[in-house]
Amino acid sequence: MSERQLEELREFREFRESEETPKTPGTLQTQKINDDLLSSLRPPTLRWYVLALCLGAVVAWGLAAFTWQMTHGMYVTGKNRPVMWGFYITGFVFWVGLSHSGTMVSSILRLSQANWRRPILRAAEAMTVFCITVAGMFPLIHLGRNWTFFYMIPYPNQRGLWPNFRSALLWDMTAITAYIIGSSLFLYLGLLPDLAVARDRSKGWQHKVYAVLAMGWRGTAHEWSVYRKASTLMAALIIPVAVSVHSIVAWDFAVTVVPGWHSTIFPPYFVIGAILSGVAAVITLMIVIRKAFHLEEYLTPLHFDNMGKLLLVISLLWSYAYFVEVQTTWYAHEPIEWEVFSFMSQRYTPQLLIMLAGNTLLPIFCMCFKRLRRSIGTMLVVSLMVNVAMFIERFLIIVPSLSHKNMPFAWGSYSSSWVEISVNLAALAGFALLFTVFAKFFPIVAVTDVRELEARRAEVSMGRAKVPSIAGEED
Amino acid sequence: MEKLTSPYKWGMVIDLDRCTGCGACVVACQAENNVGICDKKEISEGRGMHWLRIERYWVGEYPDVRVRFLPVMCQHCQDAPCEPVCPVYASYHNPDGLNGQVYNRCVGTRYCGNNCPYAVRVFNFYQHEWPKPLDSQLSPDITVRSRGVMEKCTFCIQRIRRAKEEAKEEGRQVRDGEVQPACAQTCPSEAMVFGNLADPRSRVSILSRSPRRFQLLEHLGTHPSVFYLKGGGREHV
Amino acid sequence: MKRRTFLQLSGMTAASALLAGCQSKNEKLIPYLIPPDEGVTPGKATYYASSCTACPAGCGIVVRVSEGRAKKIEGNPGHPVNRGRLCARGQAIVQELYHPDRVAQPLKRVGPRGSGGFQKITWAEALGLLTANLKELQRNGPDRLAMMTPQLSGSLSALVDRFMRSYGSPHHLSYELLAPDWLRRATRTSFGQPGLPYYDLAETRYLLSFGADFVESHLSPVQYGNAFGRMRQERDTVRGHFTYVGGRMSLTAASADRWMPVRPGSEGALALGMVRLILAEARYDKAALAAHNLKAELLLDHLKGFDLAKVADLAGLSKESVAEVAREFATTRPSLAMAGEGLAFQTNGRESVRAVHLLNLVTGNLNRSGGVYPAGASDGPEHSFAELPALVEKMRTGGIKLALIKGDLRHSIPPATGFQEALDKVPFIVSFSTLLDDTALHADLILPDHAALESWGDVIPRGGLRQTVYGLIQPVVTPLHDTRQFGDVLLAAASELGGAVSEVLPWKSCRELVRETAGRRLATARGGDFETLWVELLRRGGGFDTGTGPGTTYRWVAAAKLPTPDLPAFAGDEVQFPLHLQLFSSTAFHDGRGAPLPWLQQLPDPMSTVVWDSWIEINPKTAASLGISQGDLVEVTSPRSTLRLPAVLYPGIRPDLVAIPLGQGHKGAGRYAKDRGVNPLELLVLPEGSEQAWNATRVRVTRISGKGDLVTAGHPQGSYRSDLIGI
Repeated sequence: MSERQLEELREFREFRESEETPKTPGTLQTQKINDDLLSSLRPPTLRWYVLALCLGAVVAWGLAAFTWQMTHGMYVTGKNRPVMWGFYITGFVFWVGLSHSGTMVSSILRLSQANWRRPILRAAEAMTVFCITVAGMFPLIHLGRNWTFFYMIPYPNQRGLWPNFRSALLWDMTAITAYIIGSSLFLYLGLLPDLAVARDRSKGWQHKVYAVLAMGWRGTAHEWSVYRKASTLMAALIIPVAVSVHSIVAWDFAVTVVPGWHSTIFPPYFVIGAILSGVAAVITLMIVIRKAFHLEEYLTPLHFDNMGKLLLVISLLWSYAYFVEVQTTWYAHEPIEWEVFSFMSQRYTPQLLIMLAGNTLLPIFCMCFKRLRRSIGTMLVVSLMVNVAMFIERFLIIVPSLSHKNMPFAWGSYSSSWVEISVNLAALAGFALLFTVFAKFFPIVAVTDVRELEARRAEVSMGRAKVPSIAGEED
Repeated sequence: MEKLTSPYKWGMVIDLDRCTGCGACVVACQAENNVGICDKKEISEGRGMHWLRIERYWVGEYPDVRVRFLPVMCQHCQDAPCEPVCPVYASYHNPDGLNGQVYNRCVGTRYCGNNCPYAVRVFNFYQHEWPKPLDSQLSPDITVRSRGVMEKCTFCIQRIRRAKEEAKEEGRQVRDGEVQPACAQTCPSEAMVFGNLADPRSRVSILSRSPRRFQLLEHLGTHPSVFYLKGGGREHV
Repeated sequence: MKRRTFLQLSGMTAASALLAGCQSKNEKLIPYLIPPDEGVTPGKATYYASSCTACPAGCGIVVRVSEGRAKKIEGNPGHPVNRGRLCARGQAIVQELYHPDRVAQPLKRVGPRGSGGFQKITWAEALGLLTANLKELQRNGPDRLAMMTPQLSGSLSALVDRFMRSYGSPHHLSYELLAPDWLRRATRTSFGQPGLPYYDLAETRYLLSFGADFVESHLSPVQYGNAFGRMRQERDTVRGHFTYVGGRMSLTAASADRWMPVRPGSEGALALGMVRLILAEARYDKAALAAHNLKAELLLDHLKGFDLAKVADLAGLSKESVAEVAREFATTRPSLAMAGEGLAFQTNGRESVRAVHLLNLVTGNLNRSGGVYPAGASDGPEHSFAELPALVEKMRTGGIKLALIKGDLRHSIPPATGFQEALDKVPFIVSFSTLLDDTALHADLILPDHAALESWGDVIPRGGLRQTVYGLIQPVVTPLHDTRQFGDVLLAAASELGGAVSEVLPWKSCRELVRETAGRRLATARGGDFETLWVELLRRGGGFDTGTGPGTTYRWVAAAKLPTPDLPAFAGDEVQFPLHLQLFSSTAFHDGRGAPLPWLQQLPDPMSTVVWDSWIEINPKTAASLGISQGDLVEVTSPRSTLRLPAVLYPGIRPDLVAIPLGQGHKGAGRYAKDRGVNPLELLVLPEGSEQAWNATRVRVTRISGKGDLVTAGHPQGSYRSDLIGI
């Protein structure tokens, strides 16, 4: 057995012991952790039902709106010629961007061994899966003939018809499918030891379900060893997938000849934008989880301070990318490109200002001050504003460019319809509902990860000296 | 498109010096191709279905004001931006150099419509109806498109098909001028000339080499099959 | 397919369609229980040659018929008028055939007039009602019958004439809002012969149009649109120059090289000013002057009052541009000047038209290639507008008991004439409309006519050619509804009436009449077997080589006074009503008959790009001073009436002029035209003694709100950004 495996074995034994002897001095009580963290598995409260019902109602309303659209035709949206894409694709790009939150926290923080990630890890990973799932719905919702969506799937058929692999939309489909699968695996992998805990602590049908899902996890040293390797590998692999997903989304626009879309900076610019909205979403999530699961002890202002610094860097990067994009347009002054930009800045001035405030001014200003970074209220406002601004940013990329395309006689304008707004709201509610349901049936805070952290923090008395219970890196 | 095996490469020349902007071509196109009847609301929403439009530009101010007409239909680009973006090959390039549109393959992503710089692709936002007995007029040669699919000018492909079949039966090629789309056929001032660009002696080929020729948005490199001839002399007011 | 078997075949097609109708679920499968004869094969189209009835130009058409249904109308390549080309209106008449709101069988009014309450009756009842009325009137005062029709040509014109004459009533009104009576009369005054001119546009090198909108509506739009294209680019080294004179940049003017926005009503003076300059600078054609027995000195003396400075001032143009155009026109030969509705529809219209005649004369452009010839088709009413007030007076005083009306006269006669009110006094009105149009809604009996594509007839194309052309109208489908052709109804009534009327109208049907007319007109010229000729005529859509008309050259009448256009008179005080109103015929609606057809409603007006509506064109500067922007709802007030419609900012119109298109504002005429837009004729005030002075009213425009509900195909700002596409 290698050094590492021995260490893990020891670690595991510690856990077993601590479980049996609840009152270990100097640590949080393990029982309490389990109780705390698995509290979500208890029967739902009335509050939960009310919340789920409200969200479900919004989703149902959105579904009704979508059904209305399916049965009546695309005219119920605000789209027209030349603005053939609108709120749906805005929503699509927005949710794809948000899905980068999980990747960010889980992978980057995991790889960089930032220990404070542990309590929000699960939530962030789940968020990724739900965001990309919601995002993946939009391209299907926006089809003129939704019922023929399967034409885009490369399935063998008698007519020998295949989808067109030159189309950025097909790349989209491939990338999003890959990302959904990848992030689901990532989530599942992290969930595995916790499912075992849940299995051990549940009865009846729940026990059966968890038993199946836990796939016979027993927590042997070998299992842990493989588990760690797999986690690290997944963490490393999911990052390029995430980057490619958003690059491809950017290519939906960049590979066209639409003025204002056809731009080489779009892929990195979109990725940065995605990370910006992802980081902001993680901050929002941290605040919500901290409040909901009383994790004040785990998620301290120091963690917010760290996230604030990250946000500052990404926001600066985003501002730089935006500046470069506009600056080249302005400097070249290519007539139609400039026309699109001037139209956008005149017709959508308030939106443009909100976008710049939310993505640039507010985060850069606020995140420069330690006091503001450590203020939970400020962080909440800033992180929410960033995502509002990001939604607007996507809208301002898509709609103005299409409105004033190359042929001036055929210019147009776009205003969203109630159907599109309903579907977008339902997407938000649907995301929240998925999250709520997930939190009810699965441990939303990674039990094993948190306990591992506790174990690392615990000290054992060796004679007069107190040494960490586990030999390892400091967090 | 070097791989073309067809002896035809259909193209059109529109002489803007002849074009009076009268709109006969627009109605001809609508009549020939079962283009939906759009009410006022539909058009106000930017959802008109005309495959061919006459763009009217005002230049200058009163009294030194001029009008320029520009009939715009699908330009049947040789490097068409609409084709590669379609995920299901509903928009494809046919061997005669035409941009085809397969209605029953179209899923309605409208990506092609966005990527068409000429904005000539129209989408069936509505299910178009022809109150009886107006539907008796519908041509049996062309599909009536359902809602949710993209459509556009086809250079009256049904006429091209018919002419090619007839020529094939007689064991010859389609003669110059034998086939014309509805717009070119009806144009009172004969501003539109249609023919085979692959034949250097066809009328359309000869005209497409005129010094007055230009193409729409040439800088985008789409290589349209429609050539325009500049309207001369209207600078002097 | 043998033409003789046509009716049998179409009957068969109808039978099979009927069978198909029984099995509505299998509508797309055609159960050909009767084996299809040659020519009627599913999926294989048949083509029938006929003539267009959308306007009096009488273009030749070819109708594509598939499975017994008319599919597409194309120009007849063998027809000398339109040479295989066709305008928007002509192609749309297939929708007249298949209009969903057509009157499907005779209707009798129930309830008060105009309430729209009608009761379906059979043709036997309907004809009984008609003949009873006719018989009664015949006994006590046949001159109390009035017949009102558009300006007819060919055999139908003869039929109506005979009917009225034999019946004993002089009251036949041949009314068309845009009828070229003004041109016929001016030509008679100047050249002593009736008829219309033929402009050899294709061969001219300099075209000067005084308000002649030959692309939209003037005489023969397809013919002249085609000739215009050839004038521009058909000749290797010559590109014909085009100057347009008129206060509004019409669609025709938009193609001009130079636009001269003259003050309304000053066109005649401008033409004479040009004549004077040409004479004074000795740029005139001496031979031509001599040939017409005119002397330059006398002319100069006569035109003393039209010196350049005065004329330019009157016209509101710069002296330089007037002189330049006059010199160009005189020195570029051949050149030709056209006189059109723009100048004719003023109080001084006829003299202005004659001023243009003189301009053509002194530059030697009469009777020459690239100039002006008399057209072959020359006959036509010259005094219909003079007859209108007389008839109105007669109706008002109860002198008319029965009115037979073909066409929508209630809509196309300006109410200022008092026609509508007077018509209400007529106790029995019969309408032959195919739709419940404004006239039909106020009728007591509606005897629905066939659509043009179901009818037999013939047409002498108006203007457009030097030789007379005889165009045939033949049914291309079996009648869709239980309707009867106007001419057939008259013939049926005539045989019922008996006596003199049935004697002069012995034919059983229009088909018979047309056959006989065609035979009379063409068979003598050709000789040979008539049946062969008839089949040939049906195949070709008419006879196209019938020689030139009576007056083959123009010659100035010695006794004719030299033209002296007065200053134009306008209805309405200049201070109270500061803007001139011009009504124009749009490409889609002509005088209003295009309005019921959805294709034409949907067709963006080429200049304003407006769809499905009326609008008023205002110069942007004028609009700014009135606080009006594009799409605003404005109120137009004339001394007579007030209308509300959306505004279009139109850079191509004089600041003191506003323009409204004709043709909308129907109270009926089917779902597509009903209550759509406004009828600008309601605004008109007709100055004393004027006839067709449709453009002699002044108006005032005020802004009402920003909600004009204006829909344009073109983007309002994008329409000014041609720089972005470099054209």
